[in-house]
Amino acid sequence: MRKLGILVFLVLSFGFAQKVHLMWSGAITGPTSDAGKYYAQGVEDYCKYANEEGLTGGLTIVCETRDDQYNNANTQRNFEEALERGDPAFLGYSTGGTLQLKPLIQEVGMTYIPASYHIGNIDPPNNDYLFLPIVSYSEQVIALLEYIAKEKPGAKVALAVHPSPFGRAPVPDAKEAAKELGIEIVEVQEMAKGLDYTATLKRFANKGVEYIVYQNVAGPVATMIKDAKRLGLNIKHAAAHYAGGPDLLRLAGDAAEGVIWVTSYYMPYEDAPGAAFVKKLGERYKRPADTIESVHYPSGMLAAAIAIEAIKRAHTAGKPVTGDAGREAVYAEMLKLSFDPGLAVGPVTYSKEDHVGVDHMRVLEAKGGKFVPITEPFQSKLFRKVHYGK
Amino acid sequence: MSYFLQLLVSGLVVGSIYALAALGFVLIYKASRVINFAHGQFIAVGAFTVYALVVYLKLNVWLSFGIALFFTALIAFLVEKLFLKPLVGQPIISVIMVTIGLASLLDGLIHLTPFGGGNFSLPRFLPEGGVSFLGVSVSYPQLLAVLLTALFLAGFGWFFQRSTLGAAMRAVADDQMAAMSLGVSVEHVFALAWAAAGITAAAAGFIVGTVSGINLESLVAIGLKVFPAVILGGLDSIPGAVVGGIIIGVLENLATGYLDPLVPGGGTAEVFPFVILLLVLWFKPHGLFGTEEIERV
Repeated sequence: MRKLGILVFLVLSFGFAQKVHLMWSGAITGPTSDAGKYYAQGVEDYCKYANEEGLTGGLTIVCETRDDQYNNANTQRNFEEALERGDPAFLGYSTGGTLQLKPLIQEVGMTYIPASYHIGNIDPPNNDYLFLPIVSYSEQVIALLEYIAKEKPGAKVALAVHPSPFGRAPVPDAKEAAKELGIEIVEVQEMAKGLDYTATLKRFANKGVEYIVYQNVAGPVATMIKDAKRLGLNIKHAAAHYAGGPDLLRLAGDAAEGVIWVTSYYMPYEDAPGAAFVKKLGERYKRPADTIESVHYPSGMLAAAIAIEAIKRAHTAGKPVTGDAGREAVYAEMLKLSFDPGLAVGPVTYSKEDHVGVDHMRVLEAKGGKFVPITEPFQSKLFRKVHYGK
Repeated sequence: MSYFLQLLVSGLVVGSIYALAALGFVLIYKASRVINFAHGQFIAVGAFTVYALVVYLKLNVWLSFGIALFFTALIAFLVEKLFLKPLVGQPIISVIMVTIGLASLLDGLIHLTPFGGGNFSLPRFLPEGGVSFLGVSVSYPQLLAVLLTALFLAGFGWFFQRSTLGAAMRAVADDQMAAMSLGVSVEHVFALAWAAAGITAAAAGFIVGTVSGINLESLVAIGLKVFPAVILGGLDSIPGAVVGGIIIGVLENLATGYLDPLVPGGGTAEVFPFVILLLVLWFKPHGLFGTEEIERV
């Protein structure tokens, strides 16, 4: 009888709990869906978990993942739908979509958390409502350059970037940082998906390139690394967040041995509470091994966790969480948000001046088919110097 | 010199993969005058079939490859019977729209499987490393690509020149009415052309998967990347598909090697083949080996 009573209470409280919608729009199909698919699953699972475990302050968060096929027009349509419905925040995805929506985001005052870590998202103008979950691409690439400069002073480096705003994002800051570090950026090569990178690699080798730093996605990087091994080139490879990870190991196999990679997330096999939590959630919601292993899965979780925490705090403070007032209240909470969901190597902290959530990252190296951390979590002071001049 | 030679050989390898993928286009166009915009999706079907059989059912890679050839051919055959056959005699734009729709449909169906998003890699079945000569290096997967392409081209060459069915297909390609009057089943030939294109698509998918991993977007992109190859070679010419594919592959590599340093950011490989394509079409509007059709009004 008591159990029945509890059940009735839970059903009723769920039924009567205020519902707040939270939309994610990203590429479940189309270009970059190899990341978007897992990111969406991370959003969905964290949302379910937060509702089930009462992490929502009594609200029912209805998370909706929409496939925009990496198409900016679709992203905009989804954003406008969320806006009309009165959603208090929005989870975005691509660099192009986010940059295009910046003026609209500013105009309507909606908190927007993209999967793109382009520094331009949070640089003026129209940057008030944009929040990066982790360190920017620029900071990631500069961290890699700092690591290279320590390992090989005066090294010759080539940047191999995706042919898009996503790929080009860190190039200006990287060039400035290289000057400060006394290393030489020999060439910046935009590399699309291809079957063979012999020509590019031979050219790099002829110019004495010792390191290639990738701001790209895992597919082309894997092919390039395999080609470099086949050609017997003595070049080391360093990858920013989206260019590395378990996907790279799966695609490049043994050739990935020794690749260094920078990210703010834990690996699922690490002995860390964050890694165990990701694994637990994946198993709880019956996700396959490839989802649990993917670095994009906790990335989606983190974005959802940030938005849900801000919504919860606004609600707990007795403020509205839908419509115009809801957007304003959630934004106000974002500006003072400081909590540690344990999903990344540092806490999430935002302020009016700081729109980067997790300010720390680690460098990892591929050893024995796994990425293992070779540094403690750190921030790049050089990034602040070259980008903000402070 | 070895730099140029390496670019040339790598270009030949990539070009031979384009040639194999282009062959499927040409087979369908030659038989039925249909441009199949869903060819990239057939390439993906072939690649994912091999992957599923090897990884999930633990079958031998060559057996899986054989099954994938048959399976993709069957899918292509059924697609022709279901969607293309009712359109015989309809305006070409209707047929093209159907193949575009077919591409979306197949894309959607693949996304319902575990293969829609994500990167996959076939378990290694070839030795590591490769062959080196005159300062040029070719990996075993790349060698396999060239060998399989040569094998398929020789096989199709024999089929079209020596077999009765091949002769019937050539007859339909030359003149459908005349072929029908000689008792050739044009409908049957169309379906067989699609099945043959399915075989080449599966082979291309397997090779791309072996060389650079399996990802739906990349496989579909290969299907579209061979457009300049078939246009350059001539849409209805099998030797043209081969030559066109190889020319595009070599041009891409030479552009990357010699032009990219002159252009900030590089990326000339994406453009340069099209510049050459435009120049060739200026002088030879039907492509290098395409049939020049003269219509008398």
